Amino acid sequence: MSSLFGNFTHFDALVFFAITVSVTFAFLSKRGALERLKYVAWAFLAFLLVAVGIGWLMLPFSR
Amino acid sequence: MADESIHKDAPAGNVALGAVVALAGWAVPGLGHLILRKWSKAAFYFLCVGGLACVGLLMRGGVFAPGSEDLFDRLGFFADIGTGAFYFLARMIQTAGPDVAHATGDYGTRMFAAAGMINLLTVLEAYEIGRGRRT
Repeated sequence: MSSLFGNFTHFDALVFFAITVSVTFAFLSKRGALERLKYVAWAFLAFLLVAVGIGWLMLPFSR
Repeated sequence: MADESIHKDAPAGNVALGAVVALAGWAVPGLGHLILRKWSKAAFYFLCVGGLACVGLLMRGGVFAPGSEDLFDRLGFFADIGTGAFYFLARMIQTAGPDVAHATGDYGTRMFAAAGMINLLTVLEAYEIGRGRRT
């Protein structure tokens, strides 16, 4: 198990973090299955887009 | 007057129940909601908080010890202790020990701390439900 998660790429870790936190926030803030599902999809995509966007913004400073 | 009618309709508050479910929810993520018979919330909170905590440990993330002089270490401990049982079982789950020299271990440290913080949010929600302020 440790070797499986030890080999996580940055993107794998981001996806796992985004989905777990999105689901928790959906249950904390929304009522009803449909509302929660919409919130999970929206928050998950927002996590990914913001992380990739910040990554692109930092790219010039990494060299 | 409008406020009065809202309060009249709300269920009676119970500080003792709120405290019990908050303590249970901190000790085992989702247990507070289980006591309140919020089955789906209990299951999802346990899976999400437990999943984040276990994966963080299996990525060989670090766990902050109590009593540090450094402010950031203290904040890290506060976040980590939010995972309740997972903090005390960290050594059993993470048999290989932490390895924060690599990026994966560093991400694991953040994941474990994030698990603690979101569990504290679920504890607050359990307390509010127990008090009767929220359904």
